[in-house]
Amino acid sequence: MIAEGPRRRLRLVTTLLIGLVFVIVAQLVQVQLVDHRFYADWAKEQHERPLRLDTPARGTIRDRNGHVLAGNAVMWSIEADTAYVVDAQGVATALGPLLHIPAAQIEQLLRGQAAWVRLASPVPKELGEQVAALRLQGITVRPLWERKYPETRLASHVIGFCNAEGTGFYGVEGFYDVLLQPERTEWTGAVDPASEQIPWTVAPVVLPQPGAELVLTVDRTVQALTEAELSRSVQEYQAEGGTIIVMDPRTFEILAMASMPNYDPGHYNDFYGLNPPPFEDPAVSQQYEPGSVFKILTVAAALDTGLVTPYTTYDDQGSIEVGGVAVANASRQAYGQQTVTDILIHSLNVGVAWLSTKMGSDTFYRYVQAFGVGQPTGVDLAGEVAGQLWLPDDYEHWHDSNLGINAFGQGLAVTPLQMIAAVATVANDGTRLRPHIVARRVAPDGTVFTFRPVVEAQVISPQTARTLMEMMVQVVEEGSTQARVPGYTIAGKSGTAQIPIPGGYDREGTIVSFVGFGPVPDPRLIVLVKLDRPKTSTWASETAVRAFQRLAARLFVVLGIPPDGAQAVAQVAEVVR
Amino acid sequence: MSDFMRLVTHGIKRGRFEIRSRAALYLFAPVVALTVVAALYLTLVSRTAARGRHIEQLRVELFRLQRENQQLEVELASAASVSRLWERAIGLGFVPAERVEFLRPGDSALRSE
Repeated sequence: MIAEGPRRRLRLVTTLLIGLVFVIVAQLVQVQLVDHRFYADWAKEQHERPLRLDTPARGTIRDRNGHVLAGNAVMWSIEADTAYVVDAQGVATALGPLLHIPAAQIEQLLRGQAAWVRLASPVPKELGEQVAALRLQGITVRPLWERKYPETRLASHVIGFCNAEGTGFYGVEGFYDVLLQPERTEWTGAVDPASEQIPWTVAPVVLPQPGAELVLTVDRTVQALTEAELSRSVQEYQAEGGTIIVMDPRTFEILAMASMPNYDPGHYNDFYGLNPPPFEDPAVSQQYEPGSVFKILTVAAALDTGLVTPYTTYDDQGSIEVGGVAVANASRQAYGQQTVTDILIHSLNVGVAWLSTKMGSDTFYRYVQAFGVGQPTGVDLAGEVAGQLWLPDDYEHWHDSNLGINAFGQGLAVTPLQMIAAVATVANDGTRLRPHIVARRVAPDGTVFTFRPVVEAQVISPQTARTLMEMMVQVVEEGSTQARVPGYTIAGKSGTAQIPIPGGYDREGTIVSFVGFGPVPDPRLIVLVKLDRPKTSTWASETAVRAFQRLAARLFVVLGIPPDGAQAVAQVAEVVR
Repeated sequence: MSDFMRLVTHGIKRGRFEIRSRAALYLFAPVVALTVVAALYLTLVSRTAARGRHIEQLRVELFRLQRENQQLEVELASAASVSRLWERAIGLGFVPAERVEFLRPGDSALRSE
């Protein structure tokens, strides 16, 4: 038997203990259930950090035959987590000679307040591996991607460039930046005190994907020959710059597109000092008044409406008044009775002004717009501009005289790509396609997306296109004879255009151009040559036409395009001998 | 029992300690079960850690190989660039092929073969 006193004390102790248990249980319920989220998040904050998995490479850019135009090389970044550097002096002594930085300077950085210091970046692969092999405590060697352009300046305007942060600018790099960008995967997981992943939590198995690979329509050999010819022409004719575009008129694939001055995309920083920097592609970003090349479009419209035939005649008196402005021939001569074909052969301003007024502004501008003038072609390159075309309903800018002046390619502006696409429409049976520079896109999983030609408009009938093509052949046979390529039937038209300046036109400089295609009747190649302000001659026939001839003759050989007929075989062998 | 002990124990006497098999089962079964579960858990965690480390190593190796591959591709492209090939060809005495003859079926040159 227990006495009453102890029994009471026992009850008291028991009650207290039970109460204490309740308090503990209540606290546990509070912590484990009620405030569970708060404490779980708190714990997570302490042992989990966002970790960026290694970033894969930016997509490669290749030419149509698989040659790399833009790829990636590995560089390294040498960094220090100062909190983990135990022997600052020893680390500085080891790194100084390798990084060519005074050891005292490195030591000062390591002993500084900053928790993280970048010691050198980017450094070459070999040096990075040397530093990594030292296994210095607190020193991290991190790989970086650096964009490389193995062909240096080749197709620089087409490709564009990519900056150190991995963002693409201009050209294909700019236009397809989103596709070329690699996937950047960030994953939150458990880390150790040095912020390294603890392996007992497995990172997501899905690895970040590299950027898509782009295969261009550009042929690097054609591009190199085109650039060589442009360089030669600019030098020989003392031009300020120029553009040459080579296209397949059957698909509107751009085989080569060169402009000068150009730059090395691998060292784009060196060109920022130039005024203006040469990054914009003049082929799509700069507009000019095309001059007489534009007459092709005016004649095409007149033929297609059925208003005239190649043999329709008119009386050329040397000038014609349109909207109160006298339009004269470039030679200031009167040519008398001329056919529509003669208008192209002799490049008669009066003749095309007569055609445009005969058509009326509605019809003329409907065709001009259908040819794509005044609107971007939609090419897959960054920075394309629309050109400039005033229409009759624009009372502020358009004047009645525009109808006559526009007919021979003045008073409006196009980009070189717009111009070649418009003429390629004639070579392609009157169907205008969308020019494009990317042939295929290869996704990281290997799926291939092929770009199909996009039809923009049936501008003129196939019959009109064939007729006009024959007329353009006569232009080369009887007018721009310097454009003839032995063995091949070439169609083309030259243009010598005045350059607009504030208050009128420049009296000295001209822009000379020539657009030609062949072999007719089934053209496989169309070439536009444009030279800015050549000094040796202001006429296209003595500059751009010759450049076209040299390049076209070379390209027919390189691309394996056979001459027109059996007899021509002997001709080719004879002429180039 | 002395007075002192009586004061400490309040006169309560400890009963005789007896091991009953059923009680022992109730006591040890959960302990054994917990031990088994703990051992399994430890095995699982250690295996996961080892597998995680292996996956991490594979991923590091994969990225290293990808980097190496890209590097080699760029070096190869640079060595085979148009300008390099041009220089090399000229150095070896080649000239641009300007004289090209296209043969067509029916040409005498083909017939003679």
